[in-house]
Amino acid sequence: MKIDLKSPFSTAVAIGVGIIVLAGYFIPSFTNVRFILLRTGLVLAAVALLVGIINLITVHIKKLGADSENSGYSLILVISLLATLVIGIIDMVQTYLVGKPNYQMTSWIFTNIQLPIETSLLAVTAISLTYAAASILRKRMDVFSIVFFFVVLLVLLGSFSIPPATLPFLHVIREWILRVPALGGARGLLLGIALGTITTGIRILMGIDRPYGE
Amino acid sequence: MSATGFTGIVVIVLFVGLMVFFSFINKDRKTKNLRPIPAYDKIIQEIKVAVEDGSQLHISLGRGGITGPEFAAALAGLGILKKVIEKSSVCDQPPIASTGNPVISILAQDTIQGSSKAISVTDHVKNPSGELIGVTPFSYAAGTLSIIRDDNVSANIHTGWFGNEIIWITTAGERQSSPTIAGTSQLTAQSVIYASASDPLIGEELFAGGAYLGEGKIYQASISAQDVVRWIIIFIILASVLLNILGIDTFFENVLAGSM
Repeated sequence: MKIDLKSPFSTAVAIGVGIIVLAGYFIPSFTNVRFILLRTGLVLAAVALLVGIINLITVHIKKLGADSENSGYSLILVISLLATLVIGIIDMVQTYLVGKPNYQMTSWIFTNIQLPIETSLLAVTAISLTYAAASILRKRMDVFSIVFFFVVLLVLLGSFSIPPATLPFLHVIREWILRVPALGGARGLLLGIALGTITTGIRILMGIDRPYGE
Repeated sequence: MSATGFTGIVVIVLFVGLMVFFSFINKDRKTKNLRPIPAYDKIIQEIKVAVEDGSQLHISLGRGGITGPEFAAALAGLGILKKVIEKSSVCDQPPIASTGNPVISILAQDTIQGSSKAISVTDHVKNPSGELIGVTPFSYAAGTLSIIRDDNVSANIHTGWFGNEIIWITTAGERQSSPTIAGTSQLTAQSVIYASASDPLIGEELFAGGAYLGEGKIYQASISAQDVVRWIIIFIILASVLLNILGIDTFFENVLAGSM
């Protein structure tokens, strides 16, 4: 008979750690233990990043071999990742040899490649958001979508500083929308999310949800 | 113990008690007493479509970490992933899971392996995989696009922690004419999802996946417990407004300040 000890052990550890961390929020004598466990979790999360990167490289190397139209993207990803890794290691060695922080090449990559790309993508995101708001009525023609569309329109108009959007009542409407219905709705959503979060947490502490394997 | 700590313990004990109570009284009930959520009906429908036409489902779990409140959304997404794998076990193609966080990636792989083992999907080729796509918001969104554009993917389910970058992911699904079911616990991203996804999950609907996808009685009990606590909160808010109007609120504040 084969007895699988992994599952009950991992469940017991997860429940035990979860209860101690939760107790740390309410009972002062558990606070130090909570911090130790959370710091351990952070270290494990950092190790998980290494595992994740290995997973990323493995997946994309496999895609390189496959006859896929996206294999070109995978090649660029693998080359960029390895180049950034090598440059990072060189910078680290230089820092060690010089005896003071020297991350010139790494910061050049972030300033001249990563930052402009992410900024451009942010600009595209703004356009995509406007397009999505404008096309909502095409997608779903119901009362809530109509309200959503006109509220977005009013708030946008109230934010402009060019005529005719400078009419005083538009600013008043915009302020009222943001202060009363939008804030109330956001709080309602947050309460719902908080209730959902609590039940999800309790199910994990009771061992009903086990996202760490069966 | 502080007043906040005491309140926290009371809330947790109340939730546990209500969940146990409702799971006990619902034990023999055969039917689900839940309001319809179209997004979950759509997930079940899309699983059937995938079984019929041999296509794949794509589940993206967002980029939430383990140390913040975003982890709950990721856990809810993992629960939905588990149910989708179980329900789509007879599919020709296994579902694809993608994440933007390494820890969630590991948990997704563990969930996939555990669920596959539980339903005896031992064929290595058929085993679904969990991929880490990118660790920054835009790299994750950009990397996910290639999966969505795959002609073999029939529907996309995005459940987890997303920011505004989800607009890329949802509009890509729209361009492919594939249904997009999406839910997150991030407020601004929820409005983006509402505007761009074909089937949005709003607010706490994201956390109700287990109950709607047939996980078990305790999941329905947790929904009932949420409803009871929601009514208690509504009552407290209305009572606070009434007390404020009557000018009695400062009396209780003084009492609490004196005793705690």
